[in-house]
Amino acid sequence: MKNNIIILGGGQAGIYAAREIRQNDSKSNIKILGEENLLPYERPPLSKDFLLDKKNEEDLYFYSSDVLKNENIEFENVSISKVDFENKKLFAKNDDVYFYDSLLISTGSENKKLSLDNNLKNDVYYLRNLEEAKKIKETVSNKNKITIIGGGFIGLEIASSLSQLQKKVIVIEIGNQLMGRIIPKQIADLVQNTHLEHGNEIILNKQIEKITKKNGIYEILLNDNSLIETDFIIAGIGSTPAVKLFENTNLKLDNGIVTNQFCETSIKDVYAAGDVSNFYHPLYQRNMRLESYQHAQNHGICAGKNIAGVKTEYTSIPWMWSDQFNLNLQLTGICDDYDEIIERGNDINNGVIYFFLKNNKIRGACGVGIMGKVGRDIRITSKLTEKDTIVDKQILSDQNLKLNKLIQK
Amino acid sequence: MSEENWIEVGSTDSIEEEDLIRFDHQDKTFCVYRLTDGFYATDGICTHEAVHLEDGLVMDDEIECPMHQGIFNIKSGEALSPPACEDLKTYPVKVDNDKIFIKIS
Ligand SMILES: Cc1cc2nc3c(=O)[nH]c(=O)nc-3n(C[C@H](O)[C@H](O)[C@H](O)COP(=O)(O)OP(=O)(O)OC[C@H]3O[C@@H](n4cnc5c(N)ncnc54)[C@H](O)[C@@H]3O)c2cc1C
Ligand code: FES
Repeated sequence: MKNNIIILGGGQAGIYAAREIRQNDSKSNIKILGEENLLPYERPPLSKDFLLDKKNEEDLYFYSSDVLKNENIEFENVSISKVDFENKKLFAKNDDVYFYDSLLISTGSENKKLSLDNNLKNDVYYLRNLEEAKKIKETVSNKNKITIIGGGFIGLEIASSLSQLQKKVIVIEIGNQLMGRIIPKQIADLVQNTHLEHGNEIILNKQIEKITKKNGIYEILLNDNSLIETDFIIAGIGSTPAVKLFENTNLKLDNGIVTNQFCETSIKDVYAAGDVSNFYHPLYQRNMRLESYQHAQNHGICAGKNIAGVKTEYTSIPWMWSDQFNLNLQLTGICDDYDEIIERGNDINNGVIYFFLKNNKIRGACGVGIMGKVGRDIRITSKLTEKDTIVDKQILSDQNLKLNKLIQK
Repeated sequence: MSEENWIEVGSTDSIEEEDLIRFDHQDKTFCVYRLTDGFYATDGICTHEAVHLEDGLVMDDEIECPMHQGIFNIKSGEALSPPACEDLKTYPVKVDNDKIFIKIS
């Protein structure tokens, strides 16, 4: 049967879902609605290689318009402002109406904003999309002293890139360590040391009281009364799922759109995938929301299968990375539910990993090392987690013993 | 085929099965793999960003990059999984008297 399938949100989850639907269903109409006037593109380089001019806009697109044309996937640049789930209709700002039989919501996430005086609203920059990355790149070129509010992954990646562009960078973080509590303090400290070695200043445990602007220079007053003068401010203070559109509907929301292991929401024929979805993970037997490249891809593919009628459970083990200077940090599984922590390695040149275990099985791990030093072990860890393996702790803790020994057992 | 193009990498027992070693020659760097059905060679550096694949994971006929899990087919060099999208160059390999040789040019 021929269906109208609409994908609301033209990002990573959306494009992978669209292509997966087409693989399984040659007949239905597939239309992606995206408010950015751009084909779906990769966001990770925005804070890294794009700022560093190592990648340009053309390098970021997942697929060309030719690929979409060949597969008969339509992309329309439109911002949806209202949803009527009962009558299966979407309304655009310009009053255009779109009808669907099946809907995938893949609206991603939005940056949290600082509460600022109105006259400063346009002075603080944020980074979520290509347009913002271009604005930062352009504006920063004649600035020297940059302040980044928020020491999370994106803030620190920008700090790393701007430092490599010879800028003086200050990072202000409200918490007592970088990258939030989910990252082991020891790993946060190793990353912090690398920033310090490159000349970045890191201020922890401080809150912004007030920002004022005088003659083009900003003064940031902190809660200990210290004052920071800066030419340019970027805030990376976290993100929230993009669900405003659904707040007054009967779609079940709780830290994003609640979905089951088949990407199904509380409303029939409505699916959600990627950053916006708080999905049930059968292995961990709980819901979780992830903001990660690999998840957006795999979750989009899984949603695509289910929309096309190929019932498929989503069981991918969570995984994400962050690159800062020559460090590569990786997280796999979940690191907040454990009864034991095991450390592997203590030198950043060879990689340092913390494993989080429960009942002698790995639940998650976090590691950091120069370039690819932790990748193989983290990947093997994902496999051990997936297979629910009881692990030999001696092998985990001894960097001279290969982890794949655990897998072959 | 001139003999000079074959460069000696090392002995066959220097690589465990389903594993790889790094091999540097002049200003170039390679990965040499031992799979269940023989030896293979590719460029050493991932086509996505400049990280060496020596720390990657070999699974069946595939090498997975340790930075962002881009995946390549070891035998054809084909990029199989994003963020890797550009293929990896491959090189002929031969074994002679328990020694591995790769043909570089
Ligand atoms: C700067 C940056 C760096 C990152 N770096 C990494 C990294 O190093 N490693 C990693 O694993 N992950 C990283 N991520 C996370 C990763 O990019 C995201 O998890 C991924 O893009 C999520 O995909 P998505 O499809 O859910 O959402 P997105 O890719 O965000 O796509 C959502 C799309 O929906 C559109 N949309 C929203 N509402 C509407 C509407 N009402 N109407 C029409 N369109 C709408 C949005 O404009 C957007 O284009 C990074 C993210 C950012 C922003
Ligand atoms: S460097 Fe290999 S996948 Fe990114």
